[in-house]
Amino acid sequence: MSVQYTPVIWNRNKIFYDAVLLIAVALYLYIYIRVAPGYEDVTKPIDGAILRMRAFGSCAFLMLTVILCIGPLARLDRRFLPLLYNRRHFGVMTAGIAAVHANYVLTWYYNFSPTDKYVALLSSNTNYGQVLGFPFETLGIAALLILFVLAATSHDFWLSFLGAPIWKALHMFIYAAYACVVLHVALGALQGAGDPIFTSVVAASVVLVSGLHFATGRMEARRDRGEETAKASLQEKGWLVAGELDEIDDDCAKVVTLSDDERVAIFKYDGKLSAITNACAHQNGPLGEGKVLWGCITCPWHGYQYNLSDGRAPAPFTEKISTYKLKLIGSTILLDPNALPPGTHVDPVEIGEAA
Amino acid sequence: MQSAALLLELGRWYLMAGGVVAAAFLVFGIDRVEPSARGSYAFRPLLIPGICLIWPLVLYRWFTLEKHGEDAR
Ligand code: HEM
Ligand code: FES
Repeated sequence: MSVQYTPVIWNRNKIFYDAVLLIAVALYLYIYIRVAPGYEDVTKPIDGAILRMRAFGSCAFLMLTVILCIGPLARLDRRFLPLLYNRRHFGVMTAGIAAVHANYVLTWYYNFSPTDKYVALLSSNTNYGQVLGFPFETLGIAALLILFVLAATSHDFWLSFLGAPIWKALHMFIYAAYACVVLHVALGALQGAGDPIFTSVVAASVVLVSGLHFATGRMEARRDRGEETAKASLQEKGWLVAGELDEIDDDCAKVVTLSDDERVAIFKYDGKLSAITNACAHQNGPLGEGKVLWGCITCPWHGYQYNLSDGRAPAPFTEKISTYKLKLIGSTILLDPNALPPGTHVDPVEIGEAA
Repeated sequence: MQSAALLLELGRWYLMAGGVVAAAFLVFGIDRVEPSARGSYAFRPLLIPGICLIWPLVLYRWFTLEKHGEDAR
């Protein structure tokens, strides 16, 4: 990695994303604080601070729900990919909103307690053995701590410094945070007077998050199975597994040896794959060691050139070399080992999404 | 009550230890183990909260990266 770190990388798309997000959050909070009192039990009007505490709490919960849905949605349908793009700012904002919620709780319920308000929060209810009246605040604290850690480690630096495996494992804790929040709400707010709207919102969130993850899991398992059978049937017809897509650098080749005097060079260039014989028509120079330019390979020995799609030297030259058929299944490249007559056109394989 | 106060006290110590690790890491460690951070200073304060929260992990990575270099990444 040669990029230099900056505090936040913003570009036009990200600013737009963040602006939409901020407006949506502000709108939600405004509407909640304005509209929710209309549905309140008039005999028990709730105070402004409690209302705001609930507005921020439910906002953070909904944001967490959306964050967890973006991943599977983007895998189910690529049109959701733009949402995935700037999920990081989404996460940091969620942690902030949740912190405001917790701060309302602290200042409202515990500000006037004789002890330190943090001590009061932790010690006012320790009935961990029961469901009804369970100290659900603790679950909120656990969720908030996780959100803080994830927000604090969202900078690119952390991915590089911790290494992808540790960073990913750490950020999987988002699911633990979600579970804590669901329990925090189920054992807390939903145990009370029973607000049917909020109860159904929480239920819908749980169904949506688990349903989407289940659906993508099934889809990916089915696709993997499909790829396995496609690979197996091609191999039955004599095709060879030539390697994985990421083994080949852009504009370079991987050379596959079929027999002592038959080698095939598989090129990756312009988002496509083509295979030609490794032997130059001039003096058998190693074409696979050449570089691709404008869809043409130049022999490293004396500079003969060939179009990769048909193995023909560009006009006015007339040399021709053999081409081969390729298929890409998932990220695995398969090669038909039967050489085509020199100069035969083969449509390059588009790499597309797998790249 | 007692245990709540104790818990908070532990948390406070944990975060303070994190502050010490953050200072040491941002001044000495980061340039040694994170080549892309060399010459970038503006983003470093941004790392302080994260280091305070997960400083044991930071120390662990710092030492493995010192010992094994880029292979550990
Ligand atoms: C230090 C951490 C937290 C504390 C002390 C805390 C405390 C509370 C309290 C006292 C309530 C009121 C329950 C009731 O009305 O019966 C509540 C409700 C709620 N909290 Fe938290 N919470 C914390 C963190 C979180 C986090 C991280 C989230 C979400 C990401 C969250 C989401 C909610 C929601 C959705 C409600 C229900 C609001 C409603 O009634 O509409 N809380 N919390
Ligand atoms: S061997 Fe390829 S140009 Fe001479």
